[in-house]
Amino acid sequence: MTDIWQSAMDHAVVLARKAGQVVRDAVGDAQKEAVMVKSSSIDLVTQTDQKVEKLIIQSVKEKFPTHCFIGEESVAAGEVCVLTDSPTWIIDPIDGTTNFVHTFPFVAISIGFSVNKQVEFGVVYSCLQDQMYTARRGKGAFCNGRPLRVSHQKDIRQAIIATEFGSNRDPGVVDKVFSSLKRVVSIPVHGVRGAGSAAINMCLVASGCVEAYYEIGIHVWDIAAGSLIVSEAGGVLMDVDGGPLDLMSRRVLAANNQSVAEHLAKEIDAFRVRRDDAAS
Amino acid sequence: MTDPWQECMDHCVEIAKQAGKVIREALQDDIAVMHKSSQVDLVTETDQRVERLIISSIRAKFPTHSFIAEESVAAGAPSILTDDPTWIIDPIDGTTNFVHGFPFVSVSIGFTVKKEIEFGVVYSCIEDKMYTARKGKGAFCNGLPIKVSGQEDLSRCLVLTEVAFKKDQQQLDTMMANLRSVLTIPVHGIRSPGSAAINMCLVASGAADAYYHLGIHCWDMAGGTAVLTEAGGVIVDVSGGPFDLMSRRLIAASSAAVAERLASHIVDFHVGRDDALGSEKN
Repeated sequence: MTDIWQSAMDHAVVLARKAGQVVRDAVGDAQKEAVMVKSSSIDLVTQTDQKVEKLIIQSVKEKFPTHCFIGEESVAAGEVCVLTDSPTWIIDPIDGTTNFVHTFPFVAISIGFSVNKQVEFGVVYSCLQDQMYTARRGKGAFCNGRPLRVSHQKDIRQAIIATEFGSNRDPGVVDKVFSSLKRVVSIPVHGVRGAGSAAINMCLVASGCVEAYYEIGIHVWDIAAGSLIVSEAGGVLMDVDGGPLDLMSRRVLAANNQSVAEHLAKEIDAFRVRRDDAAS
Repeated sequence: MTDPWQECMDHCVEIAKQAGKVIREALQDDIAVMHKSSQVDLVTETDQRVERLIISSIRAKFPTHSFIAEESVAAGAPSILTDDPTWIIDPIDGTTNFVHGFPFVSVSIGFTVKKEIEFGVVYSCIEDKMYTARKGKGAFCNGLPIKVSGQEDLSRCLVLTEVAFKKDQQQLDTMMANLRSVLTIPVHGIRSPGSAAINMCLVASGAADAYYHLGIHCWDMAGGTAVLTEAGGVIVDVSGGPFDLMSRRLIAASSAAVAERLASHIVDFHVGRDDALGSEKN
């Protein structure tokens, strides 16, 4: 029986690779490229972000004219950000824009595809490392064709945890970020790492390099693709307070198993942020 | 005029490559982990094997040279820097990363004569990036010249540092306070790759603008110091004063302006010295 979304997924992989080339070509000049700011002086965006998103959306629209989109830069420009049952492409043209501007090696194109609000496939292309992560629901997760499996580690004290500081410097938010970090470090864990890209952090969980990743303040386009890659690699997903993952809540906890996930959730000083689907 | 240390440097690159291969092969197997000073200070049989490989190879060619190497020191060898030609070796920098398969793992070798660093080699072996630098002759990655970003404005910097468990509550609090102080300057971001030597090379190649750390060792810093300095970077003590290889602390930066301003945000805490005697070491 043919997979009705296979041609969409194949197209996503082709587009991610193409976009990756655009990013690689631009990265040498990234430090000269005009860097603009969005919500604050450290929430960066560049012309390349915008160019890559246009490239992806235009190409998908030609092939799949009835499909919907949630794209980071389109939403920043005023497009609506609501997840419906329609086939929807959830796009982060450059996840890790700060890394891109600095030529720090973790920069990804992230494309998630949902139908009936369920992610059907995910593609994350770490373009400076040339690592193509893919997952199709029910068919496993892969990196450059090699199957992925989460870490076997059951003991959180032997875990590496990935997390980020985010771009919100509001003192109340920073208090909570540091309170969580201190608690996690003091479990103690083997280490805390930050790659600077949510999508790549999720792929690191899927590939067993880290046991878990948590963050508050990311967006649906950062985690849609990665969430399927983690679950297809045998991992678990939840909200940072231990409840079910809500893709529009701007909070995520991805881990190699339930026990590590639950232990981590207990240490996180959770707080709420404005949802991606909040009415403006 | 021939360079008296060129042959040493060429041998160093060769042995780093070989060591990197041993590390990559070991990554295929399950890794049995032992602990040193605490449950987060890891060492493996591969660290020990790679160090033996490097030292025996160098001794065969240069029998009068001295060594300061991480696992030998852990086993009781002295770590005093003398005027002798000295190889300062970390066989696996980023052992925690190695155990987990996280991609930043390096072999780090610095070579000093009369306590001055003559050359450095850092081989990031999972990425297959060979960073080299000879005093006065520039810094390279896989043969291509590298340079720091030159960034002078700390608020536009990507800063590297590491977050680690500390048994001492005050040290933990100070580490967190420093992180927060730097983050809220604000800087563009803070990253934790997990290998000191690679962190120095990331600053040297312009991928990051600064790196600060309290509590590392001379074998973590020796190779990277040569690479960073030859790439046009600046290296100072966390107080802003002159860098001391045995002090277990550093700021590496793209410019003196960034280094100085970063120093003003860092409160230090006691980390001991690599050349301290006995119990003072930790």
